[in-house]
Amino acid sequence: MTPPPTNVKQEDIKTKKPKQKTSKISQILDKTTTAFLMVIVVTYISFLTLPIIAVFLKLDIAQISTQLQNQGIIQAIELSLYTALIATLCSIILAVPTGYFLATRKFYGKTVIDTLMDLPLVLPPAVAGIALLYTFAPGGLLGPIFNRFGMIIPGYMGAVIIAQIFVASPFLIKSVKIGFENQDQAVYNSARILTGSRITVFFTISFPLAIRAIISGTLITWARSMGEFGATLMFAGNLPGITQTMPLAIYNMLYSDPIAGVMLSIVLISISFVVIVIVKLLEQKRYGDRK
Amino acid sequence: MIKIESLSKLFNEKKVVENLTLEVKRKEVMSLLGPNGSGKTTLLNMIAGLLHPDSGNIYINNTMVYGTNGTKKVNLKPSERKIGYVFQTISLFPHMKIQDNIAYGLKSLHISQSEIKKRTNTLLDFVDLTEYALLYPNQLSGGQQQRAALARSLATEPQVILLDEPVSAVDPQLRETFRLDLKKYLQKLETTTLYVTHNLNEAFMMADKIAVMGNRHIEQVGDRTEIFDKTQSTFVAKFLGLNIFKGKAIKEQNGHLLIDINNNISVLSTSNPELIGKNVTITIKPEDITFSKTQTTNQNATNNILGVITEMVQTRSTTQVTIDLGFPVKTRTTSTEIKNLGVTVGDKIYVTFNFSEVNVFSEKEST
Repeated sequence: MTPPPTNVKQEDIKTKKPKQKTSKISQILDKTTTAFLMVIVVTYISFLTLPIIAVFLKLDIAQISTQLQNQGIIQAIELSLYTALIATLCSIILAVPTGYFLATRKFYGKTVIDTLMDLPLVLPPAVAGIALLYTFAPGGLLGPIFNRFGMIIPGYMGAVIIAQIFVASPFLIKSVKIGFENQDQAVYNSARILTGSRITVFFTISFPLAIRAIISGTLITWARSMGEFGATLMFAGNLPGITQTMPLAIYNMLYSDPIAGVMLSIVLISISFVVIVIVKLLEQKRYGDRK
Repeated sequence: MIKIESLSKLFNEKKVVENLTLEVKRKEVMSLLGPNGSGKTTLLNMIAGLLHPDSGNIYINNTMVYGTNGTKKVNLKPSERKIGYVFQTISLFPHMKIQDNIAYGLKSLHISQSEIKKRTNTLLDFVDLTEYALLYPNQLSGGQQQRAALARSLATEPQVILLDEPVSAVDPQLRETFRLDLKKYLQKLETTTLYVTHNLNEAFMMADKIAVMGNRHIEQVGDRTEIFDKTQSTFVAKFLGLNIFKGKAIKEQNGHLLIDINNNISVLSTSNPELIGKNVTITIKPEDITFSKTQTTNQNATNNILGVITEMVQTRSTTQVTIDLGFPVKTRTTSTEIKNLGVTVGDKIYVTFNFSEVNVFSEKEST
């Protein structure tokens, strides 16, 4: 009862066919999955980039030169540059030592501190604004102290700077912390064996190895300060020339002077873009690469 | 010279190093051999001053660098201990060129620029990296980076060099060459050296003297023969892959020591009357055991026992044969010999080893 060879062949074909089918099915499945993913990716990327393009489409190139003489625009740009610069400098003074401390010291309750430092990053800006009011306003927590010196914070340029520091400086702490934490202990120990002074080790090894992270963090903090809106509006107000930074001016110009609003928006988009490019380049650069 | 007296260290209430004593003589190269997690790096870091012991004394060239001298507490900074340290990972300063890495230690010596330059060049030449002086560490291979790290550690003219598994940062296929280079440099240096490794072959290749570490202390110190043929602890025997049997020394017989293993097999060893009546540990190297199909009757001092082959494992050129004598015995022979004998698993076979190859010791009481 041995089956004739033809039977065997048929069986072969039988077993082969479904195999081909499954591989075809999986091929089709593969292609469908890719197509499906592509649709999502393209839709999403368009969603993220189209609004930016929309702003640029609103730009009337012929208007640029006249807009550059628009007092409202110039005032807002100047105020933003000035407040963001001071806020960034204050952030460096406060966040670099703090980040270094958190990265290099062990102490009880460190996780709590770490979490608190991250809080402003996710806190809604409007809430940050209210929180700052309840702290620095004349009736707030620290209000009486400022009152004694005849100082009022909200409604003045100082409030803009405080709002920017509160919202943006945690980005710098995070960067600085990563910059110091990611250093190999053996590198540090090698230096300690070769030189007696811890200060020398800090300035020749630890700090230079963290400098890129510090620069990246500083740029992001600055860009975030330039773009601060909610907390500034709530806490500092929207007074042209005093507290009206670029984002607040854009908000005001939406109906009154849309062309100026577009101009300011493009300035802010360009700043964001340049900062992201520099940060990316800093991340990629390896020591010894040609510049 | 490095001298360590009853050193102890706890990590999170767990003892990592306990009552450890070790001496590396002047200009001696010693390998510190032990399994991963045996506390080798901890010991090295304590010698270097990167980690503080809980108790004990450490001396480098007769100077106490850590410990209690009368009532005075001594704890020198790492930079004051006159040591050079090559780490397990690449520890070069990534943002400095090779020549600046090497010159780093020289800059704190308060010597002139031209002297720094001169010494840097000498060190670059010593580790054959002159043409790489202007490159950054990431542009070099693992072996070149470790050579640069060695040169950098030598800049301050250390009296003691500590190396912690320096080979592990090198690509596997380049390790053998790197080991040979390193050995050449260490021999030329003639400086007291402690070389940490978990690799048996490497330990014996790099140094003439070996300290085996395990169970939080030094188990045994000696040269190749002392470690292999006069093993003094079960831990060391296990680490070396020796045969280990527990038995009892019965009596002297014709100038040899008669030992009973498992109450059923007697073996002869070198005379040692002190052990009579004691429980002892016996170690035999797998390669010292030969076997044959017939009983050899040439010498009465040659141990000759009948057993059954239970396992045969072939490696590249040797075959490991396990023979059951009532307890398993590991032997190692060439694959050719196995072929010539024509034996296989299940065959009865005579196991032969000379009395002089039977190492006997009575285990020290360990806590």
